[in-house]
Amino acid sequence: MARRKGIVETHSYRTFLIVAAFIFILPIWARPIPGEALHMDIVNLMVLTGIYACAVLGLNLLLGYAGQISLGHAAFFGIGAYTTAILCTRFTWFPTWLGVILGASLAGAIGWLVGKPVLRLKGNYLAMATLGLGEIAFILFSQLKGLTGGTVGMLNIPPLSIFGLKFDTDIKFYYLVWAIVLVIMLLTINLVLSRVGRGLRALHSSEVAADAMGVNTGSYRVKVFVWSAVLAGLGGALFAHFQLYINPESFTFALSILFVTMVVVGGMGDIWGGLVGVVALTFLPSIIQVFPEWIPGIPESLTNFSNYALVLYGLLLIIFMIFLPKGLSYGMERGVAAGRRSAKLLLDRIRAHD
Amino acid sequence: MLRVEKLSTFYGNIQALRDVTIRVRRGSITTIIGANGAGKTTLLRTISGLNKARHGLIIFEDQDITNTPPNKIVKMGISHAPQGRQVFGDMTVAENLELGRYSRRFANRAEYKQDIEMVYEVFPILAERSGQLAGTLSGGEQQMLAVGRALMSRPKLLLLDEPSMGLAPKVIQSIFKTLFRLHEQGLSILLVEQDAKIALETADYGYVMRTGKVALGGDAGELLENEEVKKIYLG
Repeated sequence: MARRKGIVETHSYRTFLIVAAFIFILPIWARPIPGEALHMDIVNLMVLTGIYACAVLGLNLLLGYAGQISLGHAAFFGIGAYTTAILCTRFTWFPTWLGVILGASLAGAIGWLVGKPVLRLKGNYLAMATLGLGEIAFILFSQLKGLTGGTVGMLNIPPLSIFGLKFDTDIKFYYLVWAIVLVIMLLTINLVLSRVGRGLRALHSSEVAADAMGVNTGSYRVKVFVWSAVLAGLGGALFAHFQLYINPESFTFALSILFVTMVVVGGMGDIWGGLVGVVALTFLPSIIQVFPEWIPGIPESLTNFSNYALVLYGLLLIIFMIFLPKGLSYGMERGVAAGRRSAKLLLDRIRAHD
Repeated sequence: MLRVEKLSTFYGNIQALRDVTIRVRRGSITTIIGANGAGKTTLLRTISGLNKARHGLIIFEDQDITNTPPNKIVKMGISHAPQGRQVFGDMTVAENLELGRYSRRFANRAEYKQDIEMVYEVFPILAERSGQLAGTLSGGEQQMLAVGRALMSRPKLLLLDEPSMGLAPKVIQSIFKTLFRLHEQGLSILLVEQDAKIALETADYGYVMRTGKVALGGDAGELLENEEVKKIYLG
């Protein structure tokens, strides 16, 4: 089969190596500097970024390739988190890595149950169904007190350990999470470049023609949705073992919207763009928190990010849909290209004057 | 080769096809003409499995294929070039063609080369444009791509929905000439067309559809001479 050699493939794998190298050296370079105005803990934030990236990579496939939107991915994230948290706190002997796998699997199973009937219908019924699922999951997380600890949540979740290796510091967890993210990226790149990926792109481009060519569009949509649910569940399970406590507030509608915003800001259907979106929006609250040190007299309510997170995400969604529908990374590429062009023009002019 | 017996298809409560019965002989070009909304496109879509039939039968090479999913229909040898061309605009011409053989999963590289050479021979312009994004092609080229893509699955029967749509007369002529050549090489074609004149001139058999029913049928030459057809469809 003629795999598209050249542009996409080599470009993707080269980018992959650059990103991987960058991730490897980042913690060495990004030690927290005491007394610096921008006192972010970059490694800690990057762990969170990696955890969100798991969920967003799957959602990016769903939005960008299957053309479907999920407004309830926080539910899968939460299912992954609660599954492993419950198993590992109830049974102290329970292997944490198995909890993570079971969490991701359960999220996938529930995704299948929801997606199977809904995705046979054309149109955006998935958005409605997942919106409902997100609310139901949130209510269950807060009300099943015996199982989930209610609104207080679950404490004392053991740190993740794989074959005796304990991931109990930020830096260890950083390398673990990003190793997982890079594996998912590789799988996703391969998927996009494979026969299935071509089918998905065709589906996105013209569903009628994809159907007519014999691409089984209904079953593809279900598969992509289930895969995205598994990845969100995986992210959630890692989240539980990283934070070591969880409560329902971590899995609200705002998180679902955050995921969608990350995809849109990064660029739908653009795997690397998705990653850019996750980084940008995970760091955004910390950057905003720093503002008051620069601007005197800014009201307190504006520094507390969660107060207006949803408003900001909504605004970002609107702005990107109108002005940058292909996302931030594409916009940056265009910006760089335009900058180069005008620089060259300027140089030419200067030379002409000489 | 293809028999459609008393086929009825609905969109919700609205009946789009009423007891439609047609035949496509092996090696023929059969055309279906009629006004907008007569049910021509629905008929093609029901044959290729994109719409569900409520009553009736579709028999292809002695097999009942009524309501078989589209991916299986393609494998059986019916290929559908849908209305409005529907090329994959953000993929290259070559990628579009590759998707045309999507159903033939395990076919090898040599066969792929052979198929794509065959399409490039039929439409040389596609070979020149192979690396270009399909969305940047002209209307005529896109139509050629749509037909070429449908040929990639090695169909026995090609379903064509309005290949003349929105094209200049000269381009239409050239596309129909190509269709005729494919027919001479043994391909059976079921052609839905609004341009009744060129369709009947190219085809062996024709049917006239009106409000979801087959109103007339017969040799294309006879239909061309038919007073009613002349008055309504040939102007």
